[in-house]
Amino acid sequence: MTTVDTRARRAERMRMLGQPIAVVVIVGAVLVWAFSGELDSIEKANINAAKLLRDTWDHLVISFVVTAMVVVIAVPLGVIVTRTWARWAAPVVLGVATVGQAAPAIGVLVLFFLWTEWEGLWAAAIPIAVYSLLPVLRNTVVGIQSVEPALVEAGRGTGMSGSAVLRRIELPLAVPLILAGLRTSLVLAVGTATLGAFVNGGGLGLLIDTGYKLNRPTVLITGAVLAVGLALLVDWLGALAERWLGPKGLR
Amino acid sequence: MNLWDFIVDRWDRLLPEAALHASAVIQCTAIATVIGVAIGIGVYRSPAGSAVATALTSAILTVPSFALLGLLIPVLGLGVAPTVVALVLYALLPIVRNTIVGLSGVDIAITDAAKGIGMNRTRVLTRVELRLAWPAILAGIRVATQLLMGIAAIAAYAKGPGLGTEIFSGLVRAGSANATNQALAGTLGIIILALIVDGAFVLLGRLTIPRGIRD
Repeated sequence: MTTVDTRARRAERMRMLGQPIAVVVIVGAVLVWAFSGELDSIEKANINAAKLLRDTWDHLVISFVVTAMVVVIAVPLGVIVTRTWARWAAPVVLGVATVGQAAPAIGVLVLFFLWTEWEGLWAAAIPIAVYSLLPVLRNTVVGIQSVEPALVEAGRGTGMSGSAVLRRIELPLAVPLILAGLRTSLVLAVGTATLGAFVNGGGLGLLIDTGYKLNRPTVLITGAVLAVGLALLVDWLGALAERWLGPKGLR
Repeated sequence: MNLWDFIVDRWDRLLPEAALHASAVIQCTAIATVIGVAIGIGVYRSPAGSAVATALTSAILTVPSFALLGLLIPVLGLGVAPTVVALVLYALLPIVRNTIVGLSGVDIAITDAAKGIGMNRTRVLTRVELRLAWPAILAGIRVATQLLMGIAAIAAYAKGPGLGTEIFSGLVRAGSANATNQALAGTLGIIILALIVDGAFVLLGRLTIPRGIRD
């Protein structure tokens, strides 16, 4: 299996180098193309620096609110279901989360909107957070469960309390997996945030929707390419974080 | 009208939509399997080729599905064409990656033995390597179908077929009597389809994985 591992690492290295370059080139080219053409009044209202920046900013805000919610909910929940007294709950929680992820993102978003009648940031962020919870939850559970029992025993043997074992042994060893899950969640969140426009949450999906409904391909393409660029960039930052935030001893 | 009455009432429309949804997902997965396994076979012997194929397909998976659909509309118009292209592209990553992992995980001693009894390269591939890699490839195909179930719902935005139509018309009719029922019927329908197809894959695995390598 070692060849498989080196190949996966090699693909990862290639993306670390190629991805930011591709983002800059593609987004740059599309922006130049969009701004250099003859724009009518609708296009001018959508393709200008202020509007593009605001949509991108809204998109990032949704994504980061989602990520914050995912971390705050999924990591503690994952820790709880790996404690001895709650171990029976782990398969139940993971099962529910897995079935939950089989639900289409757009369905979850629309249903939340119809039930609460909320609009805006939270109407987008809460259902997207529910939808992108699973990767972090699963990886927290798997990461803690796969810690060598001998290490936990050794911790107890040196007189550590249960919470000290958790803080100083189990969690640090699970961090690489949790970060990998977080990267997956983050990419899911940035992708799903394009749907936030349907519930007036703003974001780059708004440009796509406007361009489609008003038949302005330039607006549509600009919004879509910015969304693609943002997703690739966030994924790249996630890869960097995975590399640098893990415990030094495990690199 | 409660959800149950709604489903009974609209059954003659929901059923064909569910069938279209499942058939779009299954057909696109089939196309992606042919392309993905072919790519996997083409690159698995070369480390650089495998890395490029994996990096490219995983970059595609990062692209938001709504943005990709948006980009396809000006090029391909509305309806079936953008749906099929988007679904096939998203299904590629799990299939290509698992084909490469499965094929390069085959023990060299086994392929040497196959050559030793006089098999040529094609026969080693079709009779030994692909069969040993099949559980991994099948797992990739299964992941791909689950992924496509949700993406196919978004494709209804570009007038693609399937249950996503119900979700979007529920959104448009927000406030009217059956809006929630519509969105709920579409969402639950997709979850049920996903579970049925997942079960079918377990069965397919039992039928197609060679007896010698079942766990």
